[in-house]
Amino acid sequence: MMETALKALFILLYATFVGFMFMGIIRIVTARIHRRVGPPIYQPILDTIKLLSKKSNITHGVIYDFGVLYALGATILAIMFIPLGNIGVLRAYGDLILITFLLEIPMLGIMFAAMSSGNPYAGIGAQRALLTMLAIQVPLGFAIVALAEFYGTFSTYEIVMAQQVSGWSIAHLPLLLAAIAYDLVLQAMFGKEPFDIMIAPGEISLGPMVEFGGKHMGILQIQHAIALFAETLFFSNIFLGGAVVTTFASPVLNTIASLAILLVKQIAVLLVATFMGAIFPRFTIDQAAKFYWKWPTIIAALGAILASL
Amino acid sequence: MINELMIIIFAPLIAGVIAWALDIKGVREAIGVIGAAVPLAYLVKLYPTVMGGELIQYNVTFAGFTFNFTLAPMGMIFAMIAGVVGLAAVLGIVSTARSSYEWLFALMSLTGVFGIFLSYDLLGFFIFWEIMTFGSFMMVLKYNRKASLKYFVLSVIGAYAMLVAIGIIYAKVGSFSFVEVYRAFSQDAALGMVGGATVFSRSEIALIFGLFLVAFGVKAGTFPLHVWAPDAYTETNQSYTAMFSGVLSKTGVYGFILIYMLMGYRLMAEFGAFRSAPAFGYIIAFLGGLTIIVGGLLAALQEDIRKLFAYSSISQIGYILVGIGVGTALSIEAAIFHAISHALFKGLFFLIVATIVYRTGKTTFADMGGLAEKMPFTFAMAFVAILSLAGIPPLVGFASKWVLFEAVISQNLPILGGMVFFGSAIGFVYLIRFTYAVWFGQRPTDLDDTKDAPLPLAIGMAILALLNVVFGVAPGLVARELNKVIGEEAITGTIWELNLGFGRYNALAILIYLIVGIVIAGIIYFLGAKVRKVPVTDTYQSGNPVTMEYNLTIRRNFFLPLKEALAFWLRISFDKLYRDIGSWVEDLAEVLRNYVYNGNAQSYAWYLAIVLVILAIWGV
Repeated sequence: MMETALKALFILLYATFVGFMFMGIIRIVTARIHRRVGPPIYQPILDTIKLLSKKSNITHGVIYDFGVLYALGATILAIMFIPLGNIGVLRAYGDLILITFLLEIPMLGIMFAAMSSGNPYAGIGAQRALLTMLAIQVPLGFAIVALAEFYGTFSTYEIVMAQQVSGWSIAHLPLLLAAIAYDLVLQAMFGKEPFDIMIAPGEISLGPMVEFGGKHMGILQIQHAIALFAETLFFSNIFLGGAVVTTFASPVLNTIASLAILLVKQIAVLLVATFMGAIFPRFTIDQAAKFYWKWPTIIAALGAILASL
Repeated sequence: MINELMIIIFAPLIAGVIAWALDIKGVREAIGVIGAAVPLAYLVKLYPTVMGGELIQYNVTFAGFTFNFTLAPMGMIFAMIAGVVGLAAVLGIVSTARSSYEWLFALMSLTGVFGIFLSYDLLGFFIFWEIMTFGSFMMVLKYNRKASLKYFVLSVIGAYAMLVAIGIIYAKVGSFSFVEVYRAFSQDAALGMVGGATVFSRSEIALIFGLFLVAFGVKAGTFPLHVWAPDAYTETNQSYTAMFSGVLSKTGVYGFILIYMLMGYRLMAEFGAFRSAPAFGYIIAFLGGLTIIVGGLLAALQEDIRKLFAYSSISQIGYILVGIGVGTALSIEAAIFHAISHALFKGLFFLIVATIVYRTGKTTFADMGGLAEKMPFTFAMAFVAILSLAGIPPLVGFASKWVLFEAVISQNLPILGGMVFFGSAIGFVYLIRFTYAVWFGQRPTDLDDTKDAPLPLAIGMAILALLNVVFGVAPGLVARELNKVIGEEAITGTIWELNLGFGRYNALAILIYLIVGIVIAGIIYFLGAKVRKVPVTDTYQSGNPVTMEYNLTIRRNFFLPLKEALAFWLRISFDKLYRDIGSWVEDLAEVLRNYVYNGNAQSYAWYLAIVLVILAIWGV
């Protein structure tokens, strides 16, 4: 019981910290591509501390407050189910479909909070976020189906272990196709260009985020950090082999080595998204839907059909 | 002695007749609720016996036919759904009924439903099917004649299809009894395997299957036979729709399961398998998949709150059909599980809609907004229903959907897998539209004195919401009973945990960690400075000060981009096709009337002469 609680606490702190670092990395890399210097890597942490310590906060009612808390709570829930190297609190229940759903439900909380404010920008942002989600769900679904059918299990942990024997998922053609589709989907999950339609800075004033400020925004920053960590971690686990190091005698060294390997993979995933985000302009929402329903869907469906043969 | 089964079946009808005949306000409500509560009480009482493996039977001989009523585990589960949701809906009707007429027909259709689930022969099944259809038809007729006619025509097509199929079976088997029919079909299957002469030929089997597909497809609202449902669900008492969508559509689902129970072996032997699903089942599953997508997309584009949930109901039935179609023990359990959760959350949704319509008198999204502050209880109920339908753990909607996803995908059926995934996203989409337009944002001034739900409706909603949560946190309660129904340990685990062998789901762990997560978030929240509440006009408006005269909420065409992206597909409408066929028939009749039946005695005399000449040439 105590051990589980400590593990959970470790996962939570590690995910939050690394997530904030990821946010910093995104900002620095984007700045370098723009030939700017960019902020220091810890800038998002400073921003969050500032937001949380604001003296004046506004609310639009109970749902506005609860939605924000729900979003962070659900993200913390999701991170517990994804295997993190040798550490896992609920990895025995880390079901592919469950995690896919859990990664989506924080958005429900944010949307409830945003919409309850009654701001029209939040309304249109919610509409765009939902349609983006509808668009990505088709390739995402096929990619998950391909994985489940290839490995014959829905357990993320078992998939990681299977990859230790048979090589990374992307070494197999059906799963390579699924991985390509899933990576395109990740772009929208991160809310990066060309699929940053839901927040669309400078167009609809950050959409769902428009009304949040002070500690609400601070909590959502933490949520964003953990979600970033969770999404990259999930991708690394299911497609890039995860990391289960057993070479050292000491379990602590094994854990550190696993985390380091995972971190490299996660940053690789993140950088691909950042590069794509830095060079593409924004799609409109119907262009995004048509895009996702065309190429990623075809690729992922092909992967799923090949995997099921 | 008065038999228990007869009480279960006829108590609602008798109560309905008494309520209608007395027509005293207050008394008829009490009688109606008793009429719905009595069958449920008896079902609960008989539940341990039936689930223990004992069948309760009763035979009635009438006009030379023996009707056999049997309470078997499968029928028991469905009858329980009908009992619970029926009672909740009847509580809703207490608040919303306009006359005793509604009591009579609402309870009559409930009798029909119980009769269907308890009948153990095709004739009784058909008769109760018709009683149910008649009751629900009268309920729609009262509100909208056109919608009721559409429902009626499609129901009649379904009923004739069923009648013909039953007729063929009776002619060959010589009995209506499920037991005899099952025996005949299994013998046929065995004979067919070894190449012997079978009672039913291949084409006859295909015909019977096709006819049943139409009959049950109409009632379940399968694409492309769904067109009656949006109109009929909309144009009636919304409390009754909780029963209409939650229970009556389940008779179609039950019918599909019946196809498996009676003819499964034979169909499998005759038509083989597609991948790992039976070929005939794959047809059902694929239609189910299309139903999910079509129903869901159309739900997202509706402007009327009742229509949205009508289409959503169609969409959710699609999941059940996918589960039935895949045809493994696990997938059929998943289908029944989803049938239970569909009845629970969709019954709840329609009671919420009934409350909104009852309290505001409005039905379109354009007229609503900001009701969460005025109707906190109803909003809380809606919150549970939304989470359940959208498939958010740990509610029952997720548990059943999860089992269904795994059951389908584990059978290596990628296309169906993709379809169910898309369905879950579209559920999210239309629910948020409902949430945004009804509960949040700017409130029209004429809704300022809206009251919360009346007590009977609130009780009805609370029953269903409680079950949504209980079965969600403890899905094993349901899974254990489903194993008994199927007679196979397809889902193992404890009451908190579902274990399928290749995937595990622990609802209690999810609940605990979700609470822990929210508590952590709450600590951060309460460490921060105090909050100040601001009104809806005090939001970021690009530096433009606004008052309540400005429209701040997107009320119409919320998903316009979706409509644009789907413009090509939306032009194809089966509803329109049927209407076109209808108008062609009318045109044809018009032509006949002009040229043949022209009302001229002289031409009728000519027809007579021509017929006589033909007969004479024939030599009759």
